[in-house]
Amino acid sequence: MSLGNLASVGYFLPELTVTATILLLILMHVVTKSPRSNAFGFLSLVGVGAAILLSGIVPAGAGKSIFEGMAAYDGFAVFFKVLTALATLVVIFMTMDSREMDGRSQAEYYIFLLSTLLGMFLLSSATDIVMLYLSLELVSIPSYLLAGYFKGRERSTEAAMKYVVFGATASGVMIYGFSFLFGLTGTTQIAEIGRSLAAGKATLPMLLASVMVAVGFGYKIAAVPFHMWSPDVYEGAPTPATAFFSVGPKAAGFAVLVRFYYTVFAAPDPGSALWRLTSAVDWPLLFAALSAVTMTVGNLVAVKQDNVKRLLAYSSIAHAGYMLMGFVLLSPAGLKAILFYLVVYLFMNLGAFYVVILVSNATNGGEDISDFAGLGSRAPFAAVSLAVFLFALTGIPPFSGFIGKVYLFAEVINRGVYWLVVVAGLNSVVALYYYARIVRSMFLDEPTDTAAIAVPGVPRAMLLLMVAPTLILGVYWEPVARIASDSIRMIAF
Amino acid sequence: MVEPSAYLLLSAILFCIGVVGVVMRRNVLIILMSVELMLNGVNVAFVAAGSYLGDVAGGIFAFMVMTVAAAEAAVGLALLIALYRLKETIDVTELRILKW
Amino acid sequence: MAGFIETVRFSDPYFPIFVLLVIALVTAVGMVFLSQATGPRKYDKIKYSVYECGVDPLAPASERVSVKFYLIAILFILFDLEATFLYPWAVLFRSLGLFGFIEMIIFVGILMVGLVYAWKKGALEWQ
Repeated sequence: MSLGNLASVGYFLPELTVTATILLLILMHVVTKSPRSNAFGFLSLVGVGAAILLSGIVPAGAGKSIFEGMAAYDGFAVFFKVLTALATLVVIFMTMDSREMDGRSQAEYYIFLLSTLLGMFLLSSATDIVMLYLSLELVSIPSYLLAGYFKGRERSTEAAMKYVVFGATASGVMIYGFSFLFGLTGTTQIAEIGRSLAAGKATLPMLLASVMVAVGFGYKIAAVPFHMWSPDVYEGAPTPATAFFSVGPKAAGFAVLVRFYYTVFAAPDPGSALWRLTSAVDWPLLFAALSAVTMTVGNLVAVKQDNVKRLLAYSSIAHAGYMLMGFVLLSPAGLKAILFYLVVYLFMNLGAFYVVILVSNATNGGEDISDFAGLGSRAPFAAVSLAVFLFALTGIPPFSGFIGKVYLFAEVINRGVYWLVVVAGLNSVVALYYYARIVRSMFLDEPTDTAAIAVPGVPRAMLLLMVAPTLILGVYWEPVARIASDSIRMIAF
Repeated sequence: MVEPSAYLLLSAILFCIGVVGVVMRRNVLIILMSVELMLNGVNVAFVAAGSYLGDVAGGIFAFMVMTVAAAEAAVGLALLIALYRLKETIDVTELRILKW
Repeated sequence: MAGFIETVRFSDPYFPIFVLLVIALVTAVGMVFLSQATGPRKYDKIKYSVYECGVDPLAPASERVSVKFYLIAILFILFDLEATFLYPWAVLFRSLGLFGFIEMIIFVGILMVGLVYAWKKGALEWQ
């Protein structure tokens, strides 16, 4: 049962809020005399905050197909809307604190940021391949512009150019896969496609289509071997935008990956708590291999990096690999583990980037590990926060990242995929090495400049707001885990 | 009437030319054109499938793909101009600053 | 539907044309590659000049085109393509009713915001 267009508008309020905010930003930019003022940031804050409040209110008996089956309004979509909007909110604060953006026009930056957010909202709820493609592009195109925002800086422009070429090619391959699916089944609704494919037998075109679609999604979550764009983009983009890319679009990419593959190529098995494959295409195996390769490549290359921004970029590739572990298990517990991990990842990764921005502000754009030397004495609060975030990212108890990994690993062990556990375990050891390198530099190395770094009130409060969940979720994670397991209910199931 | 498979073959040929162009060419402008060619191959497949199945969704999808392709081209060209102003070249092998 | 993506049928009247195309393609590509693989290479300055015989060119053929042209072209393509969405709407105008009308007003309104932005940014000025 899908609602008509007019009846759906009530379930579309977060998206409408963001759209209205974008239009307001453009108009404000047109009439205002000072394009550099923080007013744009505040307006964006209000818009995103309102969107979070509006999407947080889930009416009882949730789960509706809206706009004639174009999108879904269910717990899964709402979860990802709140998650991506929260990430955007933090990134807006980051941008206002970052000195990188000083003296530049701010309006367009926020317009791109919010357009990406709108795309992520739609991506996490799309249930039709037309909608899915459009929202994926709505995430991608403003991202290209965000990456190239410093157009006088060679690095930024080059990164953006690479991003466009990679992104356009990947989405072109994906849409070619969609055209196969449409030709084979005669429908654009993913639930219908799933039913139609389940009825027929597996064919070569179907295999091709599922692989081609995987290319598009794999690029969005930066899984190896479609990750080539991400380190360059992460390094070239403004740091707040990098933080945004590493969390927001990645989360939305996971949302659409899960929704699409579970709807099209699998069906819930009434007999057990698992899903079963409806196609002969063994995509869990395919993605398990992808997961192992992704985390290994991400971690091994991260070891060699001296630039902290680039190090975090590679480590975020590795984290995508960890999260894929939950995706391949065909079990609700695996999906719950992904969702939970995304929540803890949001706080620890954005927090780490926040400290990178503070250090870069104080050292004239310094982003190398050597710039972090002696941070423990120069800015104790920031240094301790960063240490917490980095240990959480490694997955050491008692921080939240440990619980996230426990959920992921436990389910993989339950399903008996031991080789993946071994790979992931070894990877965590590698990760410990390079994260600890930064911590060691902060507390043991002598700084070249011993002047204290002042951390103003707003960044201090934001850091505290991100350290708190990282610590609390390490010891008291039950409520968030419950939200995660409530949120994996999707329309098609 | 032309076999639908002939259209599919055409779309596959267009798509493959596009992919080869993206991989082989070094000029960013040509790469962007090759991407457009890929998308046009997709459009042929959608329209052919749509007309074979008697479903307008194929045509609608092609419309959407065209619009997105235009937006992508606009962004790509704008970045290309910015890049050219900085480097006086649009050869991808010259994009050397960012690598492993 | 199962037979939609299948092999090319040999009985099809267009099949000979397809064969012809393939032969043409293979011949053309083959000739290029063969001549590169087997032909002698004697490159000198005259070979590299624009016209091997005749008058020397006075100026480089690749004239620089002002960026303004690209800007106008990009804007044209974008608004042109958005305008194509008006056609299917116009065809179904009556059956869509008031709701369709309001929806299209919103769509055009958003486009207008974009136009105003481009205008105020000076993208439409030639000088």
